[in-house]
Amino acid sequence: MASATVSRARVAAPRPSSAWVTSVRRPVVGFYRVMRANPLTFAGFVLVTITLVLAVIVIVDPSLVVPYQATQNTGVYKEPPTLFKWPPSIAHPFGTDQAGLDIYSAVVRALPLDLGIGIGIAGFALVAGGALGLIAGFWDEPRTLGGAVSTIILRTTDIFLAFPSLVLALAIVASIGRGIWAAVLAIMITWWPYYVRLVRGEVLAVKHLPYVTAARAAGVRDTRILTRHVLRNVLEPVVVYFTLDIGTVLVTFSTISFIGAGIPWPGPSPEWGSMMSFYQGRFLLSQYWWYITFPAIAIFMTALSFSLLGDGLRDVLDPRTRRALAESSAFHEPPQEEPPSAAIPPSTPAEEEQREAQAT
Amino acid sequence: MTQPVLAIENLSVDYEVGAGVFHAVSDISLTIPPGRVVGIVGETGCGKSTLAQAIPRLLPEPPARIRRGKVIFQGTDLVKVPRSKLPMVRGTGIGMIFQEPLNSLNPAFRIFDQIAEAIQIRHWREEGILPSFRPGPQPFDYSRRPTPMPTAAEVLSKPVVPGAAKEAVAKRQVRTRADFRREVLEYLRLVRINDPETILNLYPHELSGGMRQRIMIAMALSGKPALLIADEPTSALDVTIQAQVLTLMKELIDEVHASILYISHDLGVVAETADDLGVMYAGRLVELGPVAEIFESPRHPYTKSLLRSIPTRYKSDWPMPTIPGSVPNLSQLPKGCRFHPRCSLARPICAQEPAPPLRVVGVTPGYDTPHRAACHFAEEVAALP
Repeated sequence: MASATVSRARVAAPRPSSAWVTSVRRPVVGFYRVMRANPLTFAGFVLVTITLVLAVIVIVDPSLVVPYQATQNTGVYKEPPTLFKWPPSIAHPFGTDQAGLDIYSAVVRALPLDLGIGIGIAGFALVAGGALGLIAGFWDEPRTLGGAVSTIILRTTDIFLAFPSLVLALAIVASIGRGIWAAVLAIMITWWPYYVRLVRGEVLAVKHLPYVTAARAAGVRDTRILTRHVLRNVLEPVVVYFTLDIGTVLVTFSTISFIGAGIPWPGPSPEWGSMMSFYQGRFLLSQYWWYITFPAIAIFMTALSFSLLGDGLRDVLDPRTRRALAESSAFHEPPQEEPPSAAIPPSTPAEEEQREAQAT
Repeated sequence: MTQPVLAIENLSVDYEVGAGVFHAVSDISLTIPPGRVVGIVGETGCGKSTLAQAIPRLLPEPPARIRRGKVIFQGTDLVKVPRSKLPMVRGTGIGMIFQEPLNSLNPAFRIFDQIAEAIQIRHWREEGILPSFRPGPQPFDYSRRPTPMPTAAEVLSKPVVPGAAKEAVAKRQVRTRADFRREVLEYLRLVRINDPETILNLYPHELSGGMRQRIMIAMALSGKPALLIADEPTSALDVTIQAQVLTLMKELIDEVHASILYISHDLGVVAETADDLGVMYAGRLVELGPVAEIFESPRHPYTKSLLRSIPTRYKSDWPMPTIPGSVPNLSQLPKGCRFHPRCSLARPICAQEPAPPLRVVGVTPGYDTPHRAACHFAEEVAALP
């Protein structure tokens, strides 16, 4: 009798309730641990954070990090003309160009624009292409309305994929005209089909898995199955692809600028690709190496940091690896408190006698 | 005679694939009275799972196609219900437990979210927020479950305001996560999960197969379905866990007093759980009747051979009795009775004419399901070795 009461009390005993604390702390701690477990991801995370913070600072108040205006002839009025085309120095970390422009200022000022272009175009492709891919993958039964829509989406995608995206983008730019918006639009138009293909493939793989059937059997509607059960399981490779893609978009945009179809340089809004394009056509790379090296390094570093972050994001998004990584790291949560010893049912006298007999 | 929860009439399901048309389920008629557990046994590939999934119309159509027949659930023919309205029937009307507990839980969500979703769907349907299939009288009866004694803390914290008034206020409120948590915990305790508070926050991959199957059962029950279809719930588990889940199922059958269609390939499992038993062979129901009756005096040669080939524990029985031949290909079924090439009773008529429909071969006094078999020579089966 007594033991029954005790055991019920143990079941019903309220745990120390700190639900909201754990609900906030758990993901943060988990994220931190995954970062610790994978140094490259951590490096990517730090780099991306620095890049984003720097971009925000440049937008808010460029004078905090950048000494000169983008088109300010730093040396023309202050320095003797021999100081044009200066190599990197303390005053001009990335050097100056033939007109005395501070390349460091230009490169840093270009950051928000380039970052915005990379994230914006890849983000648009992710949302638009992803949505189309979800629809095309989920409702693909032939001889239904969904099947017809799916076919239209996929054939359109095929048309776009038939051309190399860079060539198609250049063709669009050539027909719309030069300028930043023309270049952005051109890449946007050519970029989404890859996401349709990727997402559709993932949806096809997921939608016949038993848990989707189980959700269906539980009475969940198709739209909710798609937006909750399927989307969440498709997300992981897609988001990783997205982060890797930011760098690719950046490089493509720079290429378009490099060819001369993007943003004019020198001009009010510096852009890495157009800077490289301008300098490489007019000056000897061997003599004035810093003209082209620093914008190129900026592109490289941005693409690299997002790629590094993307690699690790897969581990964070998958509950399986997240938990495994979190536990493999050197940090552990403090051990849970043992249940009070009162929970152990008191032994009967007979048992105690037996135990004593065994001991002796 | 009360209206049956489910009445299947001459249901035939085909798979149309490149290799031909597979007649997975042919001409099956079956009724499930309220509160009754109907078991279906058969070999692998005899159409058991197709039958189970065809009832709530979960089969992917195409390749599957319901060629003819009716699936009358609480008076409505589900075959005629448009596909967009089918979700209304599932979950709260017909619940399902699947055979692969390892893959039947969404790997990306915590246990709480999975069960809470099923509960939320039921709440929404009960409150009319979501359209719901008109259910008949609820056959779920929780009154037979012993209510836990209130703890001292609960008694002390009881509000002074009368419960009814408080409920009326609460009804207009949006349910909080804590409410769902309470309800989810209740279902986790129902399926005998120790330490449900911890389980709530775990992901499916952190649980064992038996635990996952319990979660699946809790999910299915939390919709309070009028009919529960258990599609080989213990097949994918190892023997020890099978026994545990089976015990749980048996206890739950007593507790929730549900109508259950229990599908299995294991005669022993069905013998322990079911009231009525149907035996399937090559897509057809060959025998149907009370469990004890079928086990004691099978009236179809297939059932007889099947029961004979259950292994006993003596080594001296070797070689084990088997049924000669093999299961026919469902796309090229033999003419006549589907079992005749392997049947020891086969006569010329068996090869020429299709097997007769199920006919009554015996009645248990005081029990409304007669014993029926689909054989010309059902009376002679008893004489077989």
